[in-house]
Amino acid sequence: MVSINYAFKEIISKIVYYGPGLSGKTTNLQYVFKEIPSETRGELISLATDADRTLYFDFLPVNVGTIQGFATKFQLYTVPGQVYYNATRKLVLRGVDGLVFVADSQRAKMEENLESLQNLKDNLEEYGYDISQIPMIVQFNKRDLPDIASIEELQRILNPNNIPYCEAVAATGEGVFKTLKTICKMVLDQVKAKKMEPPRQVKPQPVEVGIPVGVGVAAPARPVERPAAPAAPVFNGINAAATEVPTLSVSSADRIGTRDLEPAVISDIPANVVVSDAHDERKAYREEIPERESSDEPIEKAVLKGDSTDTAMKDKYDVGHLPITQDYSEPDHRAHNRASTFASSQDYGYNISDDEPTHVPDISLKGNLPLRKPQMAESRKVKGKKRKFTFFGLFK
Amino acid sequence: MSREQQVLYEDQIQQIDQALTRIIKEAEAKCALLVDKDGHLVTRQGFTHTLDTTALAALLAGSFASTKEIARLVGEPEFSVLFHQGKKDHIHISLIGERTILVVIFDDRTTIGMVRLYAKEIGETLKNIVENAGEHRQDGLELGKEFSESAEAKLDDIFQDKF
Repeated sequence: MVSINYAFKEIISKIVYYGPGLSGKTTNLQYVFKEIPSETRGELISLATDADRTLYFDFLPVNVGTIQGFATKFQLYTVPGQVYYNATRKLVLRGVDGLVFVADSQRAKMEENLESLQNLKDNLEEYGYDISQIPMIVQFNKRDLPDIASIEELQRILNPNNIPYCEAVAATGEGVFKTLKTICKMVLDQVKAKKMEPPRQVKPQPVEVGIPVGVGVAAPARPVERPAAPAAPVFNGINAAATEVPTLSVSSADRIGTRDLEPAVISDIPANVVVSDAHDERKAYREEIPERESSDEPIEKAVLKGDSTDTAMKDKYDVGHLPITQDYSEPDHRAHNRASTFASSQDYGYNISDDEPTHVPDISLKGNLPLRKPQMAESRKVKGKKRKFTFFGLFK
Repeated sequence: MSREQQVLYEDQIQQIDQALTRIIKEAEAKCALLVDKDGHLVTRQGFTHTLDTTALAALLAGSFASTKEIARLVGEPEFSVLFHQGKKDHIHISLIGERTILVVIFDDRTTIGMVRLYAKEIGETLKNIVENAGEHRQDGLELGKEFSESAEAKLDDIFQDKF
């Protein structure tokens, strides 16, 4: 979906290179990355396996410059070509504005080409996209190899609708720029901003999946199902038009519009949070607390983790000053003096002196959590000697 | 959908920027970004000079899409909040409305609880801003023939074929 940002004065479009495995999609991007001026492109991000097979996607942002005051940018993506990665291919296709189908010209790969093309159509249909309405170009790659099919044969089999095509040898770069230029022009030809009209009041109705279709000047007339319209999605200026917005229901389980959960739910339920945890010590610490309360073990075992003084223990267990990644194996002062790649807080745009103590307001998500006062445990006889234990109460 | 366009106007971005700045101040975070689910960076605030925010936006959107699929496979409608804990810096990602993702990067100066609290609170404000986007009316950018011709010249200039 083309993004037009008036604040930043930029237009961003997404172009996806699709095709069977080892057809040359990543090679296309690598050539573009290598050859275009560095000021016009960003870094090439490749999420790949150890064997250099695309695992998730390759990503290359390209800025073609300012046109009519708007920075025009293209985000080039490739998908993993192997059949195994269909789920991730679908994710990359979301919001696509232009497609480059990279076909392997070798005769032996014809079936894979066809399978990939059909897979592309199926994945687009799951999003409610019509492949015939998306700017697309076919690149017949590997024209330098032996035993390749002729262009006529490839056109007949892979491109019966005669959409624009281009011959290429991505390994040397031949045809790569021509393909990219063509698809960029096709995408930009379709970029039209619409004047805003009063938004239509749509009563939110439960639907299985609803993906609004922008009603543009050249909106295609195609048979679509018309289920009850969902609430107008955000950010879609076209959808605010007074004209009725048809929606497409898709059979996919991709429930884009059926969430019952509130956005940005801050839930105490751990199941809603996926944590990529770099520390395991914290977990062990949390598990240790109930054991310590109920066990008959001497208190010295729980104290061993940190300082043995009462004050230090209380500071460690004081929830109000408990930073998230506190490593209890290291003294507190080292944690605060840890160098950060970021500069001081003044770089954030507001003045907070580093000398000032960080004020952490009292936040009580569960209500009052009073700390239990240290209580003297009953002394007990151990081998004829009395011992006194001090329990440090924790929050309930 | 190839025909859809996401149009953002300056006053919306200003409101969003104000909300993001508030998150950074209240939660003492390093920076905050608003990212579209398609991987476009909507806006950012805070200390982002050392970050490749374009790539970050694309990767975060991909990550969110990936976990959404995981959620579907395990029977959850969606994971609305993601949290990545690092050694020094951490990332809190939450869904705003249907189409945007709020990303807050913070370090040990604050706590996850603070970030979650303000992300939720200000997330509601952001949701209202983006949902009311359709009510804004401004003269749209007319991209006519001149745009295509100018674009063609630019593309020819950048993608100079040696062959």
